[in-house]
Amino acid sequence: MTSGAGIYFDGITSARHDVAVVLGATGLHIAGPGGRLLAQWPYNEIESLTAPDNVLRLGRRNNAVLERLEIIDHAFAAEIDARAAHIDRTGTLQRRQRASVIGWSVAATVSLLLTAYFGVPALAEKLAPLVPAAIDRKLGDAVDMQVRGILDIGKSGAAFECGTADAEKPGRAAFDKMVRRLEQAAGLPAPLRSFVVRRTEANALALPGGQVYVFRGLIEKADTADEVAGVIAHEIGHVAHRDGTKAVLQAGGLSFLFGMLLGDFVGGGAVVIAAKTVLQSSYSREAESAADAYGAELMRKAGGNARALASMLGKIGGATEPGMKILLDHPETKARIAAINKVASARTTTPFLDAGEWAALKRICAG
Amino acid sequence: MASLDSETAASGGVKFLGNRRAYWRLLMRGAGLLMVTLGIYRFWLATDVRRFLWSHTQVDGQTLEYTGTPLELLLGFLIAVAILIPVYAAFFFIALDLGSIGQMSGLIGFALLFVLGQYAVYRARRYRLTRTIFRGLRFHQTGATWKYALRASLWWTATGLTLGLAYPFQIANLERYKMRNTFYGDLAGRFHGSGWSLFLRGLPMWIAVMAPLAVTIGAFIEVVDWQALANAIELDGDDVMSRIESGNPALAGVFVFAMLMGGTAVGMAALLYPAFQAMMLRWWSSGLRFGDIEMRSSLRTRQVYGAYMRFLWFAILFCIALAIIGVPALLAAGSLAGNEQASAGSEIVATGILLVGYVIAALGFSTVYRATVQLSLWQLGMESLQLSGLSALGRVKATGQASSAVGEGLADALNVGGY
Repeated sequence: MTSGAGIYFDGITSARHDVAVVLGATGLHIAGPGGRLLAQWPYNEIESLTAPDNVLRLGRRNNAVLERLEIIDHAFAAEIDARAAHIDRTGTLQRRQRASVIGWSVAATVSLLLTAYFGVPALAEKLAPLVPAAIDRKLGDAVDMQVRGILDIGKSGAAFECGTADAEKPGRAAFDKMVRRLEQAAGLPAPLRSFVVRRTEANALALPGGQVYVFRGLIEKADTADEVAGVIAHEIGHVAHRDGTKAVLQAGGLSFLFGMLLGDFVGGGAVVIAAKTVLQSSYSREAESAADAYGAELMRKAGGNARALASMLGKIGGATEPGMKILLDHPETKARIAAINKVASARTTTPFLDAGEWAALKRICAG
Repeated sequence: MASLDSETAASGGVKFLGNRRAYWRLLMRGAGLLMVTLGIYRFWLATDVRRFLWSHTQVDGQTLEYTGTPLELLLGFLIAVAILIPVYAAFFFIALDLGSIGQMSGLIGFALLFVLGQYAVYRARRYRLTRTIFRGLRFHQTGATWKYALRASLWWTATGLTLGLAYPFQIANLERYKMRNTFYGDLAGRFHGSGWSLFLRGLPMWIAVMAPLAVTIGAFIEVVDWQALANAIELDGDDVMSRIESGNPALAGVFVFAMLMGGTAVGMAALLYPAFQAMMLRWWSSGLRFGDIEMRSSLRTRQVYGAYMRFLWFAILFCIALAIIGVPALLAAGSLAGNEQASAGSEIVATGILLVGYVIAALGFSTVYRATVQLSLWQLGMESLQLSGLSALGRVKATGQASSAVGEGLADALNVGGY
């Protein structure tokens, strides 16, 4: 079979030509009614294009003009296929391309996860000290605004910060004395800005730029001034390590890696959120352990009782935490206490506050 | 084959030759590969889907052809990412730096990205048109993309402010702009649908959905003692809700009523959605013109409901399959991570199981949707078309160039993509 019928479009007008196609030695001859030659296509310039299953649609490779030849007869289509090398009817070329896409995407995923797990925290570690203190402070102010927006429900009528009313002033003085002693021992490059705030949870926060919030609930739960001082020392650890800035850098790095480079497909959003949460929790656990070690060491340097941090953690944390370990942003309390007690030595210590000052601190939010 | 050609030519109709099973196979393989490649395969899948739909759609005896390639889409996406990263970074810094502008940056960012999204929609349409070949000629699109983006954004604002009442006029206006700038070779397109006719047809549906909500708001205004409510909120203390309740004894009843009415509105919207889609598709395709070629759609609403019934049926089957496979997997994950002594490694494995299960479920439903509703709407939309003036098809001349895929990339990165 060396000739057959076809439908030809010349790519210049939309007119349909019913043509006779002849298989020549080096190419196809496409002839219209009356044998007029419409086109000659060398075999090595022919490619197959998408079409319904029963049609072989041919075009010329690398041609700006969209000439098309359609062959319906199956046997004749096979004859052309046998002669033209670039016709990919079985889809081998496409399959090969797809396989390489799959292989490389898997490789990209592995390298992405490795970078996220090892690279991002290491990079944040190196970059955080390079961020100028002024930017740190600005970042802290921006975060501060948001944190206050969330924490300060502002219904009670009193100021969010404790220690401003007259009845609270002695408490504020005691708090300042405690912070000053720790700050001197720590030798931070920039001054701390620390407050007690009206929140009932037993917690404390450190923001970028050296702001420390101690919640009133923490002071209420503490039995000695050293326990409060221990938690503040832990927060100073976050400030000294610039953990707030690191967290911003880490979150930015993860968002970039996962949000931008990974595609969105149905269900992909959940994968991204889960991966980010697990990774960020792991970064945070490391930062907490480091702050614990720093806090215990600082308490020792300031002449306080380092074990007080451990006993306070025991009161806040409880024996076991519910939920999954890989999602906790703190290491397990038991492990933390053990690690702190290992650092703390059993030598004699000077309490941070005397009984009168401690009683005043307990009333810092009384006004 | 020859008999089939003459048949469609005589009726001036459009035929869809695609095989449902082949489309299912294509989608299922695509879903599996999407999961393995974390979504990078989407450029290949989108191209496969378009090639399938285009090449099995036969107009006047000749099938359409899609000539776009996955690598073009991937490249367009990468270019879009390169454009968007500085934009995102700039917003991050603005949010940090400038006081009041910083606080507004979220809103400004949303507005800017919305306009950019509309820009992407128009550019993506241009990409798809210039990759659509029919009888050896390509379609193309002219017109300033920024003008379209601004126009569309303003219309969307108007539609939002009028609670959707402006939507018919928006669609008519935007479609006129798009079709005025659409060409098949040198054959100019235009759009003939009128916003008013769509408005009048759609108004009953709008009322059916909005009426329960309006009744609820009316009931609130009638029942609530606003003075007492204001007092209750202003007073200090934690038990605001109980004070609100004591000030407005009828409020609890109104809340229940509001929930019932809200449920009614959502239910109405869900029930009417296929009818809405059928109405839109009929109105839209009946308004399309290319030179002397006119289209009329005889799409029936119950056909669209049929497509959704098929979706429900397959979705239920998929749920059953998911339950059979998923329950043992969930139990395994629970036993791995459930006890307190579980190591981090086994927790990660358990999380992995849960995630994979979630992704399979999400991809599964989307695949079922594409294979039922999306395919049926394409097929029904095409097969219900009646074309007249087809003799013009013999004389069209080639014009227009292939355009870049940046628009598609932007649309993909901004999540506004279509087919």
